[in-house]
Amino acid sequence: MLDFFTIFSKGGIVLWCFQGAGVSESFTGPVNALIRSVILQERGGNNSFTHEALSLKYKLDNEFELIFVVGFQKILTLTYVDKFIDDVQLHFRDRYKNELEQKGALKLLNNTFDFEDRFKKLLREAEVTSKARSPVPMRSFKESEKSQKTVKSMIETKGGDKSKEQGGKKNKNTKKEAPAVEPPKGDQGKTPPFGQKDVLNGNQGLTPEEIMQKKREDFFRKRKMGPTEKPSKSPKPQKPKEKVNRVWENAGSSSKNLDYSNKNGENSSGEDQKNLEAQFDPEMQVSSMKGDLLSVDYESSEEEEMEEEEEEVVDSKTSVKKSGGFGGMFGMLKGLVGSKSLSREDMEPVLEKMKDHLIAKNVAADISSQLCESVAKKLEGKVMGTFTTVASTVKQALQDSLVQILQPKRRVDILRDVMDAQSQRRPFVITFCGVNGVGKSTNLAKISYWLIENGFSVLIAACDTFRAGAVEQLRTHQRRLNSLHPPEKHGGRPVVQLYEKGYGKDAAGIAMEAIAYARNQTFDVVLVDTAGRMQDNAPLMTALAKLIAVNMPDLVLFVGEALVGNEAVDQLVKFNQALADHSMSDKPRLIDGIVLTKFDTIDDKVGAAISMTYITGQPIVFVGTGQTYNDLRSLNARAVVGALMKA
Amino acid sequence: MTENPLEPYIESLRRQLEEQDPVVLVGVIVALAVVVITCVFLKYFLTSKTVRSAVLLVGLCDSGKTLLFIRLLSGKFKRTQTSITDSSAPYKAKNDRSCTWTLIDLPGHDSLRSQYLEKFKSAARAIVFVVDSAIFQKEVRDVAEFLYMLLTDPVVCRITPTLLVICNKQDVAMAKSAKLIQQQLEKELNTLRVTRSAALSAQDGSVGGSVYLGKKGKDFEFSQLPMKVEFLECSARGSKGKDGDADIESLEKSLAKL
Repeated sequence: MLDFFTIFSKGGIVLWCFQGAGVSESFTGPVNALIRSVILQERGGNNSFTHEALSLKYKLDNEFELIFVVGFQKILTLTYVDKFIDDVQLHFRDRYKNELEQKGALKLLNNTFDFEDRFKKLLREAEVTSKARSPVPMRSFKESEKSQKTVKSMIETKGGDKSKEQGGKKNKNTKKEAPAVEPPKGDQGKTPPFGQKDVLNGNQGLTPEEIMQKKREDFFRKRKMGPTEKPSKSPKPQKPKEKVNRVWENAGSSSKNLDYSNKNGENSSGEDQKNLEAQFDPEMQVSSMKGDLLSVDYESSEEEEMEEEEEEVVDSKTSVKKSGGFGGMFGMLKGLVGSKSLSREDMEPVLEKMKDHLIAKNVAADISSQLCESVAKKLEGKVMGTFTTVASTVKQALQDSLVQILQPKRRVDILRDVMDAQSQRRPFVITFCGVNGVGKSTNLAKISYWLIENGFSVLIAACDTFRAGAVEQLRTHQRRLNSLHPPEKHGGRPVVQLYEKGYGKDAAGIAMEAIAYARNQTFDVVLVDTAGRMQDNAPLMTALAKLIAVNMPDLVLFVGEALVGNEAVDQLVKFNQALADHSMSDKPRLIDGIVLTKFDTIDDKVGAAISMTYITGQPIVFVGTGQTYNDLRSLNARAVVGALMKA
Repeated sequence: MTENPLEPYIESLRRQLEEQDPVVLVGVIVALAVVVITCVFLKYFLTSKTVRSAVLLVGLCDSGKTLLFIRLLSGKFKRTQTSITDSSAPYKAKNDRSCTWTLIDLPGHDSLRSQYLEKFKSAARAIVFVVDSAIFQKEVRDVAEFLYMLLTDPVVCRITPTLLVICNKQDVAMAKSAKLIQQQLEKELNTLRVTRSAALSAQDGSVGGSVYLGKKGKDFEFSQLPMKVEFLECSARGSKGKDGDADIESLEKSLAKL
């Protein structure tokens, strides 16, 4: 079933490989693609990868610096693969422990690893166990509970609660009715059961509300399940059969109780919803809100519920740490000397702290967590040297992976490429795209100044036909640049020219005409300025994709500001998605580079650089550090990572 | 006159020394001797040059560095994948005279190569730059950029290791010869000198690579460099594929001459 299985060292030497029967292609290509896209781009969080028709799963062994990769056809769903890789890894390590522990690369070359028989045995065992665990067959109708109920019981009658409880179509309903029917401490038996039944009916009818409430109830239960010690709940109290009016905690019996003018007006809505959940939560005592208010973690409006969940988690962890303080100190000393291998639990607190540190430095939240996950995978099982703490190892690994992310994956040399295009007698076309107000026109002017200084002639295409004053802005820049570099010094013709067709026209058409004009007049570079657009605006994204697909520019630059936080992820993903969706060819032009602007406004919160390069995998080509023509820089990866890791 | 102020001091010193217990005197003299010897040792160790005994295998991705590494060390053929860390092993050349080097194979992937170069370049005695001759035409700009980065690195310029450019994959029919590769690289580096020096400075103000390759005013040639540069041809895979030996004699000979 498997197409191939390889074991190779991190240095690239294949120790052992297995190719399935009937498979003729070499697996070097897919495995190299796996290495390049997953491991090197720090997306090591999930351990599977698809490449054309193959699905690849891998496992890192950090103690002996090995990688185990298995590949099988994408259309097959093999359930035993994960466990199989783990088994193979354990067996291989046990068998070749002595050889692998030697230092240097010679150990890999001089030893032959005959793993064939063991491997075949393991494979057979795995296949057999997977077949043994056949999927559970569906129950026939006779076996289900429904066939055992009487028809009469399923008829809904007005005023009868019992029937509803037994004949509930979904289990959800029973759970929801039970708390609703809980005896409130009030004496509101007066209101007729109709009222409540109406409410219940209403609840059953509206499915989205049901779902929402169930979710809220689960969430609230999760929150409640935190550090507080809840006394084990006695089984649900026997409810009286008649319906009792639901009592809202804050409703009270008279209008005086409804007067919230003393309390903070903001919290009232939050508490209302909390009480809604309290009603639905079967395990919560109704009187638990009595008495002193609970500590700050529990009291807040709904938006802050997620933050509180995190706080609670942190609380529980710190309490655990304090209790194990003395033992922990001794353990730390023990950990300093001698070699011990890193485990997940050791790294967890440090990684959490690093993740929070990255988020504080303006790296997008899910990227921080993916990065930390990938670093954890890289370090799991690694043997630390003497006198190195867990924190320092993790920090060093994180620093290395950040530098790796910021290093460009391909050659970035615009001047060289422009020279190339010059020799081919065609203009080099650069397109700038981005959301509103990030600095596209300003940085376009800066880049044209740089190109002019290096002796190229530039044509600016004003394809922003929407924003008022866009064309005039570019014209002003053109005049300024021409006065700084007068035509007399550059062979009698102006170095910068503006190609514009006013407002309201089709941007893609203007761009095409501008490129043709540049070719005729032998301009070296064409800079295409587009209108800023929000990534959610579908028609505008389609227009941008059409512009790029039709004109096939040499470089598509996404302009993003360094102040952006989590939004960067959304912007880049949606821009790339739009470019990929609306292009007709099978190799769509995506974003080729990033221009990071307004870099002077952030001191060391440089996380946006990481977010953007991580999402697209493309390098940061320019960095804008101000509003004058000289404020254009290139990215220094080490300096940025230094600023990022600084405490 | 100068003796008069000193004499009373000398006199008092002599008297004090005679009064002292001889054991204490001996202890003081031993302590002083130890301090002097430590100073001498420290001076000796600190000022001794760091021994450079590493031969680095660098090059673009998929140029055949790891296979070359395996062939040089053991002569066998093994399948290889993209390296993500370095591999090092001691290497002794074929003839008896030469000493043992440490052969280090660095990953060629763009995001990793600068990190590993930083680590190992100061210990480099020679740099073996592996070039894929079969697809050289497509990659010429990337090869030249890497070579430029290497040649303008301040540490490399200071220690001037021997540079051996190996044109690998000569077993493929379309492989270019070493002479052609040398000419193309010279032309490319000539252009790169101009574009790189005009490149933007980094955002914290540091300007990369202010070393100018070769002589100004003249076209760039490898002979203008301060270090010894050699172009060799070889084939790590060998003409017979898996079973045969690799044609790396020229490389081995050059390594032996180091």
